[in-house]
Amino acid sequence: MVVKTLSPMAVQARADILEFELVNHPLDCPVCDKGGECPLQDFTFRHGYPTSRIDGPRLHFKKPIPLSENIALDRERCVLCYRCTRYYDEVAWEQELTVGQRGVQSFITSQFDQPLQSIFSGNIIDLCPVGALTSRVWRFESRPWDMTHTESICSKCAVGCNVNLWQRRGQLVRVTSRENDDIDEGWICDRGRFDYTDVNDPSRLRTPRINGAKATWADALATVSTGIKGKGAKLGISLPKDITNEEAFLFKRLLDGPLRGARVKMHGRTALPAPIAATLRIKDLDAARVIVIVASDTESDVPIVNLRIKKAASKRGARLIVIHPDGVDLDRDPNTIHIRNAPGSAAAEVRKLASHRLLKSAGGPIAILYGDGLGSEEMADLAKSCRDLADAVGGNVMPLYRATNERGAIEAGVAGWDPLDGIEALLSWGPPPTAGIPTSVKFMAAWDHLPRPENEKADVLLPATTFAQRQGSYTNLEGTVQFLRPPIEVVPPLKESWEVLVELGAALGLTLDYAGIFAIQRDAAAAIPALAALAQPPSPEPAPEPVLIGPAHP
Amino acid sequence: MADDEKTTDARPEHPTPLRGPDEGIPAHPKGKVPGVGADIAALATGLKTTLGEFFSPQVTLEYPEDKSPRSERYRGRHYLRRYENGLERCIGCELCAAACPVGCILVIAAENTEENRVSPGERYAKTYEINMLRCIFCGYCEDACPVQAIVLGPEYELSDTSREKFIYTKEKLLEPLPPDVQARLQSKAKET
Repeated sequence: MVVKTLSPMAVQARADILEFELVNHPLDCPVCDKGGECPLQDFTFRHGYPTSRIDGPRLHFKKPIPLSENIALDRERCVLCYRCTRYYDEVAWEQELTVGQRGVQSFITSQFDQPLQSIFSGNIIDLCPVGALTSRVWRFESRPWDMTHTESICSKCAVGCNVNLWQRRGQLVRVTSRENDDIDEGWICDRGRFDYTDVNDPSRLRTPRINGAKATWADALATVSTGIKGKGAKLGISLPKDITNEEAFLFKRLLDGPLRGARVKMHGRTALPAPIAATLRIKDLDAARVIVIVASDTESDVPIVNLRIKKAASKRGARLIVIHPDGVDLDRDPNTIHIRNAPGSAAAEVRKLASHRLLKSAGGPIAILYGDGLGSEEMADLAKSCRDLADAVGGNVMPLYRATNERGAIEAGVAGWDPLDGIEALLSWGPPPTAGIPTSVKFMAAWDHLPRPENEKADVLLPATTFAQRQGSYTNLEGTVQFLRPPIEVVPPLKESWEVLVELGAALGLTLDYAGIFAIQRDAAAAIPALAALAQPPSPEPAPEPVLIGPAHP
Repeated sequence: MADDEKTTDARPEHPTPLRGPDEGIPAHPKGKVPGVGADIAALATGLKTTLGEFFSPQVTLEYPEDKSPRSERYRGRHYLRRYENGLERCIGCELCAAACPVGCILVIAAENTEENRVSPGERYAKTYEINMLRCIFCGYCEDACPVQAIVLGPEYELSDTSREKFIYTKEKLLEPLPPDVQARLQSKAKET
């Protein structure tokens, strides 16, 4: 078959279709946030008529209409392609977005004019081919050509979605998805997309402080080391959930050396044990015939894996078995088998499943996903029962870690789960411990990027970098190591976190002789088999993208 | 090294000599030294020119008291225009900054609200800066502007004492409010 795309008829037809598309379009490209990266603009430039024959009145709507806290809707710009409503219906399994009226009067509207609630709502901004759905967080922040983008990894949960971080004038102004079919298929959740404004917070910490007074790094780290040295089990350490593999490797050296015996609590981690054998890949969910989801509300724990499960169910015909005490959004599939267990009894329910008729005659791969039920389950038992079930029915398991680099931290040996009660010294790295700061603490050092009320009592306050400034890598919940690229420079007195750890090691009497991140990555790759991918970090220069060239007018 | 690749340090001969041979001072055309009469004639010619110019119409101006007229299309310093009701024309679209060949314009946009309406429509320029030292006065910004907000005026005397003062901010670039709007705002301020 020969397809002619440049025959006079085809060129003419494109121009005619574009003329129709623009009948009610307001052509307010100069003030539209899509302008500069708008397919309709590009197509009109390449294929459209230079003038319009439509001189009738255009449809007018009130604009902009806030669809939610984060999304604005401009009905005049909408070309009614129904991508957003179709995405909501088919991919996200939500019914919040719909079309009002009929024919030429149609418009996109949220159900009963209620604000959108879904955690997947932000993807409709990327899907919209015109400027009808735009981000309110990024609204009028910059034009696309003002920004540079850097390919990085989302730091909000353990799925490890690929993202582009967009920078203008040293500020992180936008986060968009970057397609990686092995992991995210081009979707990201609203946490990853909109939760970045703390990076640009003007009140961010920039200089170390000792008892509230500005200090040098050397003095501050000397004070920290005298405060935490030799405390043994009286020292508590709170780790951030988005600790990188490199930081975890360095920190493990500190824990094995001068900080031996310290109690470590990783922020937001599940109590899931380390995987004993190869676990399921996210992309393998596509081929699964039966997916068992145990003790996890996947929508909030691992949002993009949740979309994969929905895809497997609605597009590939997989059957879902959910073991969870409460209703979850996967119940929207009428064929879902939901076993409501009493909290803490998930392992017993999993053992009963071995004789389930669906699993006995699955007719294909079986995927068993298990979370920690927000701490309500006995994790070692649940992990073992899931592994046993997988062995019995011939499937594979996927532990649903919650903290961003939980799997990497487990493999590096720093992902602690120790209670911090009764400690005398506290090193609070990242946000303060969720259980609060124990009253027994006499010395507290906080290493954070924002001033927080909990940190006001800290004896030493160290400024930290954010995910937009950090070099390093994360291991996602399936075990893939992916690299972060920082779009924003680390401006002194701020220091890279690996550098701070090296200097803290020196203050504690441990020589960590590293001059840069690559040396750390090489050593970590040699020391930890699961981090072997660190030996080959990707080239810092991404491949150049093709550029549209030349107009093609009729 | 092969013979045919042999190179030499000597430069090739220039095809024509750069300077001709010294031909000496040319002889006087008439072959004799000119007399006093010729000197007086030359002086009279010079005086005639001077006196002729003295009585001819004057072309120079006593700058800076007097200034030469500017063409209507002269491109001097920029102005940001307003509408008659006092609202700014600029919508902060940054097309001027995109068109600028030297990158001397910085625009940071923001959203109009009911309480703070700066321009008609949704968007206005929160920051508008032009680096006058870098500007080449090409007028592409004026050409690119979709709302005729940025225009180049007739002023060309742009001198100052520091580089920072050449970064013209929005306050400096904006036209003053129309008199009637200003009067209305003043009377409103008096009432409250």
